[in-house]
Amino acid sequence: MTSTPTAPLTRRDTKPRTPQGKAAKWFDDRLVLARPLRVQLNKVFPDHWSFMMGEIALYSFIILLLTGTYLTFFFDPSMADVVYHGRYVPMQGVTMSRAYASTLNISFDVRGGLVIRQIHHWSALMFLAAMLVHMFRVFFTGAFRKPRELNWLIGLGIIGLSIIEGFAGYSLPDDLLSGTGLRIADAIMLSIPIIGTWTSFLIFGGQFPGDVIIGRFYIAHVLLIPAILAALIGVHLALLVRQKHTEFPSAGRTEKTVSGERIFPTYAAKAGGFFFIVFGVTAALGGLAQINPVCLFGPYNPAQVSSGSQPDWYMMFLDGSTRLFPSWEIRLWGHTLPPLFWPTVVLPGIMFTLAAVYPFLEAKLTKDNAKHNLLQRPRDAPVRTSLGAMAIAFYLVLFLSGANDLIAKNFDISLNAMTWGGRILLLVLPPLAYLVTYRVCLGLARHDREVLEHGVETGIIKLLPNGEFIEVHQPLGPVDEHGHGTLAYAGTPVPKRMGQLGAMSPLRHVRGFFYPVKEKPEIQALLDQLEAGESEAEVETPQLTD
Amino acid sequence: MSERSEETPTLDELREMTPEEQMIAGAATDGVYVVHRRDRFPIPGTNAEKRAERAVALCFVIAALAGVGFVVAFVAIPYQWHLPGTPQNFRFYTPALGGLLAIMLIFMGVGLVLWAKLLMPEEEVVQDRHEHAASSEEDILMTEATLSVGLADTGLPRRSLILRSLGLAGGAIATVPLVALVGGMLKKPGKQLFHTLYAPDAATFPDTNGMVPLVYSDWRRVSPDDLLPGSIATVFPGVRALGPDGKDGVHSASSPTLLIRLRPGQVVKPRKGQADFGWPAENPEFLAFSKICTHAGCPASLYEQQTTRLLCPCHQSQFEVLDDAKPVFGPATRSLPKLPLGVDIGSDGRQYFHARSDYKEAIGPAFWERP
Amino acid sequence: MTEDFDVEGELGFEPAVPAVPDLPPRPARTKRRGLRRRLGAAAVLLVGLASMGGAYAAFAGTSGASGTTSGSDNIAAGKQLYETSCITCHGANLQGVTDRGPSLLGVGGAAVYFQVSTGRMPLAGQGPDSERKTAKFDETQIDQIAAYVQSMGGGPSIPQGTLRDQDIAAGGELFRLNCASCHGTTGRGAPLSAGKLIPSLNNASDKQIYSAMQTGPEDMPIFSDNQLTPQEKREIVAYVQTLKASKDPGGNGIARIGPVSEAVVIWVGGIGVLMIAILWIGAKTQ
Repeated sequence: MTSTPTAPLTRRDTKPRTPQGKAAKWFDDRLVLARPLRVQLNKVFPDHWSFMMGEIALYSFIILLLTGTYLTFFFDPSMADVVYHGRYVPMQGVTMSRAYASTLNISFDVRGGLVIRQIHHWSALMFLAAMLVHMFRVFFTGAFRKPRELNWLIGLGIIGLSIIEGFAGYSLPDDLLSGTGLRIADAIMLSIPIIGTWTSFLIFGGQFPGDVIIGRFYIAHVLLIPAILAALIGVHLALLVRQKHTEFPSAGRTEKTVSGERIFPTYAAKAGGFFFIVFGVTAALGGLAQINPVCLFGPYNPAQVSSGSQPDWYMMFLDGSTRLFPSWEIRLWGHTLPPLFWPTVVLPGIMFTLAAVYPFLEAKLTKDNAKHNLLQRPRDAPVRTSLGAMAIAFYLVLFLSGANDLIAKNFDISLNAMTWGGRILLLVLPPLAYLVTYRVCLGLARHDREVLEHGVETGIIKLLPNGEFIEVHQPLGPVDEHGHGTLAYAGTPVPKRMGQLGAMSPLRHVRGFFYPVKEKPEIQALLDQLEAGESEAEVETPQLTD
Repeated sequence: MSERSEETPTLDELREMTPEEQMIAGAATDGVYVVHRRDRFPIPGTNAEKRAERAVALCFVIAALAGVGFVVAFVAIPYQWHLPGTPQNFRFYTPALGGLLAIMLIFMGVGLVLWAKLLMPEEEVVQDRHEHAASSEEDILMTEATLSVGLADTGLPRRSLILRSLGLAGGAIATVPLVALVGGMLKKPGKQLFHTLYAPDAATFPDTNGMVPLVYSDWRRVSPDDLLPGSIATVFPGVRALGPDGKDGVHSASSPTLLIRLRPGQVVKPRKGQADFGWPAENPEFLAFSKICTHAGCPASLYEQQTTRLLCPCHQSQFEVLDDAKPVFGPATRSLPKLPLGVDIGSDGRQYFHARSDYKEAIGPAFWERP
Repeated sequence: MTEDFDVEGELGFEPAVPAVPDLPPRPARTKRRGLRRRLGAAAVLLVGLASMGGAYAAFAGTSGASGTTSGSDNIAAGKQLYETSCITCHGANLQGVTDRGPSLLGVGGAAVYFQVSTGRMPLAGQGPDSERKTAKFDETQIDQIAAYVQSMGGGPSIPQGTLRDQDIAAGGELFRLNCASCHGTTGRGAPLSAGKLIPSLNNASDKQIYSAMQTGPEDMPIFSDNQLTPQEKREIVAYVQTLKASKDPGGNGIARIGPVSEAVVIWVGGIGVLMIAILWIGAKTQ
């Protein structure tokens, strides 16, 4: 083991002399921190890249809180009419709500307000997108399995709540686009059987649009939902710390341990750096790409509408399902069950319910009641992976159908054909995705075992005495009398090419992500020297080594 | 992998160790084992180390400079919006701020990551999970006993009177805030959704027999002469008094109406019982439908004047106007409500439209109470 | 080409310049030929092609002198152009030809101006609707055809003078109420039923926007001067042109189509970039 320059072994006084030492003592005397602090500093984080997707979401949430707080200093959530006299000439003299006017004000009259507004909106899109990616990572690797079902459920809750939070925020500027969305939301509420009209009147304070909805959405958007979200995210992280991370199987990794880097200082530096990178990318989007230009849309007016009206991306699948759903209306005993109810209330309900019960369903069906801290490669759980692919295919068709008018316009396809195409694909594509994914998983898994049994193709062709050509295979490990490998599949990546040999080495996950690491000769020589010296020292003082 | 010791070294042993050994010993005490630890630059002062150090420092310097640039740009670049034709410099303001902010933050982040990757020691650390793996049988037994004895101490299992009354009180405490909140917000829908401001009102409109005149958004009355064949106009009830939703005729969300003038030769197949709702009553040339889509409430107003289809831009429902706005494609299920049109002669001798009555059906998206 | 000049001689026009380079590109003519063959009018094709080419050459050359031509000259010249390029579908007396083209009686010069200046007419092929193309005639020729059509059936004439008004904001309100439902608040266009398209306003000139409102081309409704007064029309034109010309204050406008392009950007430029970042952070270094 190499070490930092060895300090002379001086006896430490129990009394600290440095200022930071004195401060530490002051706190420790009162809070008894020495041990708990050390435990936290030494907590181990796995450093596989796919574990950082959730971090993007967490950091986006922090960016949202920061920029959102800034925006509250200027935004006025009032639906009272006002005549605009700000700097944006094409709206001067137009009657609009104070909410819309103050949004224009943030965009045109507050120095630097527009960039903050745009960062806020981009990070909202980023927050939802990162959560979705994170969720699928957790799903495909089986990280939701016992003991982590609770965190899966909390995560789903965060996503659901964030969609509502995002919609509330999107509605606040009271522009023509979001007002149209709000009117659809009202129609969705009205479509609920029995309590529909009551719900709509409760939320809007009377008939749509009323004059309270922006104020109510505002307090929900800036206080109520963020507080719940913050609490849920806190619990999500607390559970993660208590249960510790999952990790991919690899040499030396077991269900009983977690390996990686300690939080202090390496992981903290990386995670802290990543926060700034996420913030930076969001800032770049906020500055370089215009988002939600409400000045172009105009204030909300129930008589007006714009063609090509879409919600933000995380709601687009609902817009798509609504566009695709056939005109089926149920009329019974003087009552109506509108077609809108199925694709906007029932469908997301089913989607979230399926996602929520999946961990329990899988455990029941596979009779797997064990705790799992090691992840699975997607190919090793082909049914789950295929179900996930099916879900993604379903979601994608809905998502693209949410933009089917723009696709029709830009690719010169008939709108009616887009609708029918979406309806057919929605039924055909998911099963197809299941079948294809299942075959791919089986193929990959079989290939892994073949390589383990026969070795890696070397590309060397050999002529046998009987005239047969064979390719020489390099076995990965010890072989039996038939020349077949004896290594069992361990859920880890299997090297498939000669360049990947050494992948089974315990140091593989430590060194070289894109390509094998090679030390420079001169440094390697010095290292050897040093190690040789150290092994001598080890004879005298036994210590932890690798 | 080395042996794992749960035993904390004694104080004296610790005092004999280097700080690094103390750190490793401390980690091991908590079940965290440093299995591989290596300085990235075991030989201090190599060129490679200096390069790495300079790379990290360069990132931080760039971040600092971008921060300075941000402040300069914030103050110096003009941000006021101007009409086209005048300098459009404002368009550089937000990109400059966002770009500089991004450079500052990204280089700060990249610097930190590079620092960790290039300069901090390479480590492979393994942490035991056993701490929270499972509760011991002993713990389970004792906790169970604590709970059951505690419950027995309260006497609840035996004292059903307290249990029941407590349940009542708890229910009351849970219900009261709900009632207070929902009760405060609740509004009775009543018949509001079935009516619009087109309902005749004799007191307000004596000139037209109480029937509501049709107006444009600027309150001008609508005349048949205004529209050429193949025209549409968005018209409203000319009611200036505020309705139940607190809005006047032009601003109420239930008001917008699409007045269509057909082209010659376009013949309407009228809805049952509403044959005379157009104008003229025989072979109508003018038709008026609610602009609010019966599906989700968007203004359905993409009118194809030659092929007489009316589209809704939100979910692409298509209505056939010659079939009295019956839905022919997309998710909508109900025809657009039709406004009965009438014409009166104004004081200036011109003909003007009015609504002979309200819509016969509720406008907008369907709901449970609607037959 | 010699054939072209011969026919042109017959028509009584002298080419001011041997203006072969000014002729419309050949592919356009081959398209016309295909269409005509489908329509089964081979004889008309030959005459039409030949005379059209000649007429182009003639007018390309004489356009400089158009300022001096009188009204009746304009009508006569327009009649010539009409008879070479429009008559097949719209009929000898503008009465229209069944299954080919509508009557032009009463459509007015404004309709001619819109259709011809946006290249929609002469029609290149059959489809759900015609699309904007490069105009086949120059302004003078369009004026002449318009004058002829106007003289035959009346209707709105080509809008003249300044077509923008001061009150942009009022134009914006009218635009959002009357136009945005189809063209969109940012004027990007949209699809209609069954393959028909609402065009984008990106390339539309003041005169084209104004004349479109006056005449309701294809499936677009007509807005008479009683419904939208000339001043209101000018306000709408002013708003649309301001909207198009003004630079986006918030960076790249990403096509100004709203959440869909934003979705693409967040997944590619946001999540995509950060995926690369986490691959880099997660990768090991020596």
